Amino acid sequence: MMLAAFANPVFDSQRTFRELLQAMARPAVPRPLPVLPPSPAPIASAAMAIVLTLCDATTSVWLQQPEDEAVRHVRFHAGLKLVEQPQDADFALITDPVSMPPLEAFARGDMRYPDRSASLIIQAAAISSSPCVQGEVGKGPLALASTQDSATPPQPSPASRGGSKFAGPGIRDTETVAIDGLPGDFWQQRTALAAQLPLGIDLFFVAGQQVLALPRTTRLLEG
Amino acid sequence: MTYNFAFLDEDTKRMLRRALLKAVAIPGYQVPFGSREMPLPYGWGTGGIQVTAALLGPDDVLKVIDQGADDTTNAVNIRRFFSRVAGVATTEHTADATLIQTRHRIPETSLREDQILVFQVPEPEPLRTLEPREAETRTLHALADYGLMHVKLYEDIAQYGHIATSYDYPVLVDGRFLTSPSPIPKFDNPKLDRSPALMLFGAGREKRLYAIPPYTRVESLAFDDHPFEIQRWEHQCELCGSGESYLDEVVVDDRGTRMFVCSDTDFCSGRRVEAQA
Repeated sequence: MMLAAFANPVFDSQRTFRELLQAMARPAVPRPLPVLPPSPAPIASAAMAIVLTLCDATTSVWLQQPEDEAVRHVRFHAGLKLVEQPQDADFALITDPVSMPPLEAFARGDMRYPDRSASLIIQAAAISSSPCVQGEVGKGPLALASTQDSATPPQPSPASRGGSKFAGPGIRDTETVAIDGLPGDFWQQRTALAAQLPLGIDLFFVAGQQVLALPRTTRLLEG
Repeated sequence: MTYNFAFLDEDTKRMLRRALLKAVAIPGYQVPFGSREMPLPYGWGTGGIQVTAALLGPDDVLKVIDQGADDTTNAVNIRRFFSRVAGVATTEHTADATLIQTRHRIPETSLREDQILVFQVPEPEPLRTLEPREAETRTLHALADYGLMHVKLYEDIAQYGHIATSYDYPVLVDGRFLTSPSPIPKFDNPKLDRSPALMLFGAGREKRLYAIPPYTRVESLAFDDHPFEIQRWEHQCELCGSGESYLDEVVVDDRGTRMFVCSDTDFCSGRRVEAQA
């Protein structure tokens, strides 16, 4: 049997959009989504809320794991166009981030129209915000890293447990957040893209009820 | 006759919402969008109205100002329009509003993080009077080649001895895109810089949206030896006595008698109520 979508499409998508807008305007800060619609595996409810809010017959969507039921569900409820190639997607739904294609595989826009670029919805394992610096020191591998000689950087990517620091438009000073379950070189890939600004890719991370956005302008700070 | 909530159909709102998210992601860049025909003419705020319609929810409290005033034709009509097609609460108090649509002013009262300011924009392209071709201005933005605008400001100095541009004063957003702040007086430009509130801009006729996210660097163009300056008055508001708000000069009789009053009516009446208390 097919699952339902938003119970109240007009107001549920409006409330979801306002959270997405605030998430994009205030990057690296997780916010709870107000409505979690039913969703077939492997799509998470929070990711489905974003798809139902933003996608329709005029958007091209790439599913990382296009399983039959998921395909039927998004086609029926959002009427969206599914594409085979990541570079054709306006939106890409990443349901298994560890095996996701490189960020370079997605559209970054062109110099006259940098808005013609992909938005990725990534189902992270967990998002945890602002672990304070003291807590970080007391807590395992990263704490060691901060006391070690800076010439020998530790193996784990800065955005693994313990959190990493972000700055950019929308962030008053800096924001610290940890996003788990991403490929090991994810942040290197993203940093490499920053050289092409204003071209780029905009990211929504979801975990549980939370959504967090990282527009292309948000910089990961070293250390 | 009934309408969908907030007048626009859901497909149009989704299109606007996608464009708004890209606009926020690329601060100051003009995102093209499929502007719809609205039940009022171009130039009356069709861009701002479409942005507001895409944002509006039943819990919002809407304020609309025109040149700072809540009681002018444009402001009254837009406020009435949304209370009719969306049933939302409206207010004239800046502090009570969650959403403020504005034509040509930023309220004097400081905005908060939980407020969104929507600007009505007649001409989103700051380079348009200098370069009429859209393909060319797109290229200039792609190359961040803003020499034309510096020449224009320089010519002001050569001709008048100072930068004579007093409204729609061009700004550089996040050090990248040259952006029109809409025809706000340059007096309001400093309020754009690192504002706690999100600012969205809609140009209906020109079919462009853009945004300045909160806490984003917004610089008004200037030269080292001709720094950016805002307007100053020798007068104070004759109604509330304010010396630091933007003043309108009003002719009050047939003999040319003038008075200076705050352009922000809510700010002015708030101060008068306070003074009486």
